Amino acid sequence: MSSTVEAARYGSGKAVRRIEDPALVRGAGQFTDDLKRAGQTHLVFLRSPHAHAVIKGVDKSAALALPGVLAVYSGADLVAAGVKPMGNAVPFPRPDGKPGASATRYPIAFDRVRFVGEAVAAVVAESREAAMNGAEAVMVDFDDLPSVTDTLQAIRPGAPVLCEQAPDNIASEMKHGDAAAADAAFQRAAHVVSLDIVNQRLAPASMEPRVVLAEPDAASGRLTVTLSSQMPTAVRDGIAAALPGLDKEQVRVRVGDVGGGFGMKTGLYPEDIVVAHAARTLGRPVKWCAQRLEEFSASSHGRDLITQAELALDANGKVLALRTRSYANVGGYAMTVGVVIQLLIGPWVSTSIYDIPTISLHLTAVMTNTTPTGAYRGAGRPEAIYVIERLMDAAAREMKIDGAELRRRNMIRPAQMPYKNPMGQTYDVGQFEKMLDQGLALADWKGFEARRAASKAKGRLRGRGIATFLEWTGGNALSEVVTVNVLPEGFVELTVATMPMGQGINTSLAQLAVDVFGVPLEQIRVVHGDTDRANGFGSAGSRSLFTGGAAVQVASERTIEQAKNLAGEALEAASRDIEYRAGRFTIAGTDRGIGLFELAAKQPTARITADGDATAGAPSWPNACHICEVEVDPDTGAVEIAAYASVNDIGRVVSPTIVRGQIEGGAVQGIGQALCEAVAYDRDSGQLLTASFMDYALPHADGFRGFKTVFDTSVPCTTNLLGVKGVGELGTIGATPAVVNAVVDALAAAGLGRDAEKVQMPLTAPTVWRALQRDFDRPDWA
Amino acid sequence: MTSLRIQVNGKSVDTDVAPTTLLVDLLRGPLGLTGTHQGCDTAQCGACTVLIDGQAVKSCSLLALQAQGRSVTTVEGLARGETPHPLQEAFIACHGLQCGFCTPGMLMSACGLLRQVPQPSDTQIADALEGNLCRCTGYVNIVAAVQQAAQTLAATGEKA
Repeated sequence: MSSTVEAARYGSGKAVRRIEDPALVRGAGQFTDDLKRAGQTHLVFLRSPHAHAVIKGVDKSAALALPGVLAVYSGADLVAAGVKPMGNAVPFPRPDGKPGASATRYPIAFDRVRFVGEAVAAVVAESREAAMNGAEAVMVDFDDLPSVTDTLQAIRPGAPVLCEQAPDNIASEMKHGDAAAADAAFQRAAHVVSLDIVNQRLAPASMEPRVVLAEPDAASGRLTVTLSSQMPTAVRDGIAAALPGLDKEQVRVRVGDVGGGFGMKTGLYPEDIVVAHAARTLGRPVKWCAQRLEEFSASSHGRDLITQAELALDANGKVLALRTRSYANVGGYAMTVGVVIQLLIGPWVSTSIYDIPTISLHLTAVMTNTTPTGAYRGAGRPEAIYVIERLMDAAAREMKIDGAELRRRNMIRPAQMPYKNPMGQTYDVGQFEKMLDQGLALADWKGFEARRAASKAKGRLRGRGIATFLEWTGGNALSEVVTVNVLPEGFVELTVATMPMGQGINTSLAQLAVDVFGVPLEQIRVVHGDTDRANGFGSAGSRSLFTGGAAVQVASERTIEQAKNLAGEALEAASRDIEYRAGRFTIAGTDRGIGLFELAAKQPTARITADGDATAGAPSWPNACHICEVEVDPDTGAVEIAAYASVNDIGRVVSPTIVRGQIEGGAVQGIGQALCEAVAYDRDSGQLLTASFMDYALPHADGFRGFKTVFDTSVPCTTNLLGVKGVGELGTIGATPAVVNAVVDALAAAGLGRDAEKVQMPLTAPTVWRALQRDFDRPDWA
Repeated sequence: MTSLRIQVNGKSVDTDVAPTTLLVDLLRGPLGLTGTHQGCDTAQCGACTVLIDGQAVKSCSLLALQAQGRSVTTVEGLARGETPHPLQEAFIACHGLQCGFCTPGMLMSACGLLRQVPQPSDTQIADALEGNLCRCTGYVNIVAAVQQAAQTLAATGEKA
């Protein structure tokens, strides 16, 4: 397409003001809880206070007698009404060869609860207060059972059992690689390092809690469900599958603004089904808005993987093999996505950017009396990258060589591209050593000792950590369809199935449309979140730009080609003689022409419409070098981030401002895992101890503010039309190992040596202080 | 129900509220000012922050009746007519928001700060935002935005 003034100002590659922002800063966003319908009722869940219990009965009578209460639903009520349990296939077989196992997850617990926070009843009332009063009046007769929340305790003989098909609490397991070859490599290795690595459980904690509003339409029999979700189509299909006598054409899912998702708002939740069912049976709009307590206890958690990890190296530091034994705590119900993330997606990047010929990975999904796990920013890749990057530092320490040098010796060379890793994943492009070199320069790697001395002079222990890595993006959902409508009102409207949730995807898509149409950014409108208008996988796995963006380009170009025919008719000229530039068609060599929007007005449908679809050939593989320096106060154990530099190979950049925000904001989430965040359960009672922002420590504004962030755009992705690579999760994945490696380095240099590697996240002040006294929490493998 | 008279965004409001009604619920419910958000149950997230007589207050930890006779400013009252407040302009310019859910609270906390400390240091800004959580931005650009707004206000001689 010809370059235009508008494309030069607002098109791809330009730092523009986001089209999402003006409404959001005025408080005029459309979050689901901002909607209020005539006759709207309110639903409140009663949730289990027990980690594990049999439900002997639910007495609803007192609740139903309260003023304003319209209905009370127990799990048994939903079963009787024909509401189906959550569709859930546990992937991969169990160790005994039988199919993967999980207890059936009902939208409201039916006969047994398996984690604190599982819904046991739902109350609908005229007001939220009345519904809350009603929930308090529901009497549930629980028969308390012994519970287990710890992964390694759950697989011991005699542990409480969550599911009859899994007497050992193992949902499923997976072995990757060649165990015999790995064992042989470890036999002949000159150096072997091994680490116990705990990827602690995290709460995604989007600032907007989940909200669901369901509205039945008696006339059409349709149900409209508005909610905060990254995947409207999956919610539509899931609700239709769960509710009796409802097909998906009868369900319309709408999503307005989403106040953060981070993977937690992917797929269908039990609450979505319950709210939809209540609206259908009551014939009135029903709204449920999660309290933060519910978000912590009943929204998917992330991570929670314990790994024994070993690396075998030859005398020159070349890695011969990676061998791991991992246990993933997938919670009270083994959900498909939670299992796949740990047992397959993480392993895909287990060898990262290193040319490691042999792997042996053995991963077991364990059920415990905790909240089910699902996607959380990075989803499997942070866990795997953390393991390999911790091992790299351990090996460097063992061999007494520089960690950057050891990484360099093992990196896949550009000449090896495309490179198939031992998991069968093919990287199309990547110049990893170039990223390393730029990272070392940006972080002034060579000047570190002087800074360490300066820190020491003020009584601080300085450490330096590096992570060089890549990640898999796209969710293996690589196709997207976009519809373009040119409207006479002067707008080009893009109808998309991708979802904005803070990542500004609508702005990026609009910029790509500006490239093609050459009209101002303000004349591009993006319609999202309506399953009556567009359907697809939704936004997850850093897929939206390289799939949806490519479809925008295809649809936009197709629109112009089609419009050239229409312009030819309007101007009584052959379409091959029609030229388009900046919102206007002209007959080549003349000054006769017609405006794009004027042409739209002339059409019988008063619009020019075209669909465009695009399919990426493969995942994109963004990669980076992140380097962090920390200062530790030896008296308190408090860790401060002293410097953070990153060089990121993300292919072509469409929206530089947004990309920087994704990398740096994402890095702070990774820093959160490294330094402060952890979901904690009481081992004896199974109570969730981190059920509010008082107890679950999110990073605050007084953290760190000195990011040095560089993009390397010189290596475009070759498997999608745009050459872009997914960028939503890169910062989160890199930050955790970079920060922890820095703290371990500080501790090692303070005299702990390799003992420092025993420290486990989160590296809170007490944990680091205890490490300095050689006091560590270790996984109890016995 | 008790009668309540307050100023909201410069307009006088006369209404009846239950003694148990929180200010945030009055604002979001009967008054329809949904820009003030609620993100937690324990007064930690700060998404509900408003100004009361110029001071930043979490509207979830205040009964509506406690605002009796006072002047409440919500994010909807921050702009000067059609002209965005310098803080709103700076949040956009500095990419100080992503999902935008915490943004109204951030803006109001920052506004409260700038009214008391027109030229804050970055550390003062971060301290003032200690009660506001953001999960998207990492706060870097938020602090930068507040700093930019402070400079804009200083240059024009306006008050926050």
